[in-house]
Amino acid sequence: MSQLTINNVRIAGMSACVPTTVEDNRTLPIYKDENDALKVIASTGIERHHKVDDNTTASDLTVKAVEALLDKMGWEPQDVDCFAYVCTSRDYIAPQTACILQDRLKLRNDCCVFDLPFGCSGWVYGMSIVGSMMSHGTLKRAILVAAETNTRNRNPRDTAVRPLFGDAATATALEYDPEHARPMNFMYGVDGSGYDAVWAPFGGIRQPVTPEALEEKEVSPGVFRRGVDMIVNGMDVFGFAIKQPPRSLKELIATFEIDVESVDLLLLHQANKFIDEKIRKAVKIPAEKTPYCLEEYGNVTSASIPLTMVTRCSEQLAGAEKHCIACGFGVGLAWASMEFYAGDVKMVDVIDY
Amino acid sequence: MNLQEFIENFAGQFDETDPEEFSAETKFKDLEEWSSLMALSIIAMVDDEYDVIIKGNDIISSDTIQDLFSIVEKRKS
Repeated sequence: MSQLTINNVRIAGMSACVPTTVEDNRTLPIYKDENDALKVIASTGIERHHKVDDNTTASDLTVKAVEALLDKMGWEPQDVDCFAYVCTSRDYIAPQTACILQDRLKLRNDCCVFDLPFGCSGWVYGMSIVGSMMSHGTLKRAILVAAETNTRNRNPRDTAVRPLFGDAATATALEYDPEHARPMNFMYGVDGSGYDAVWAPFGGIRQPVTPEALEEKEVSPGVFRRGVDMIVNGMDVFGFAIKQPPRSLKELIATFEIDVESVDLLLLHQANKFIDEKIRKAVKIPAEKTPYCLEEYGNVTSASIPLTMVTRCSEQLAGAEKHCIACGFGVGLAWASMEFYAGDVKMVDVIDY
Repeated sequence: MNLQEFIENFAGQFDETDPEEFSAETKFKDLEEWSSLMALSIIAMVDDEYDVIIKGNDIISSDTIQDLFSIVEKRKS
């Protein structure tokens, strides 16, 4: 088992930015009638999601989220030693979006910046990568972004995904603080045989964009896609998601001897309510300790966990220390679980774009 | 694995369809109540009851409850 413990680093602040346009699943033009829509809402828990316009990218949302976070922290852009951008909807094929954001955010030219192209597991992976680099002691202040514009890389006529996915950017401020930081513990997991459970087949090097890849086709009744659109094979994702995340959390609990009774918050990737409730019950954490924001924002991939923290746990995290466990899981197929403590966190209220 | 029990577990996922309607030969995708959400309930039921994860293709390639039962039985052994 690959596991990791990080010392000396704590979460110091968090923010999030979402587009103002909301699509309500009750009135989406993809259903026969409202009853049909209500069935989907009942089983997924997702009522609506926020959606960017055609000119807005994840990095645009990110700039607002990071600027508000820096302001709340009382940090100047030049105080940031490390900046990581977790996102799959990048601005360009090259360069990395983090480079462009260095300039837009006026970060230092000697700042350590990089992209991490993770999906739903990305915030947890990002925490372990950035936290690990900081734990050595020379990078004192870092920003970890988890952002995605799911509505722009999926087809609006793909009835299987449109009601489920939304757009958001989140920023997490991390601080080197040996005096106050408690250890953060991580477990990892991957199953690349499921690479085509969630994927965009065309647009990379193996299958470049061709005129045919841009043609919209009806792949099954009522489901339209282009070759460059993201495909979500719901049944395969579901089978994976009810199995691996509970197993991963149980491994985390056993390996790090976590007293489940002492856990204050179970923070799950917001896949859908049906899946997340199965995971919650498998690790025996009460409902009141398991916050959700999917009813309002849908599945926002890597931004799901931090968006839940910003929109649902703001008061708790700003107060006395909370014992948290988290699990991110999805595209890859990749997953990761973590244990951490968070308290006295400077929380910014969710910002509109 | 017991086929009759599998059929009962399968039927148990449906709310509106008469349990009497389910047999080994039932073409489940032709049932009016069948939907993509029902497929997820079946996947969850098979995981809960038989500790087997069936894939989307398993459901797509199965016509009858017997077909799906055979896949689960094979994977279990």
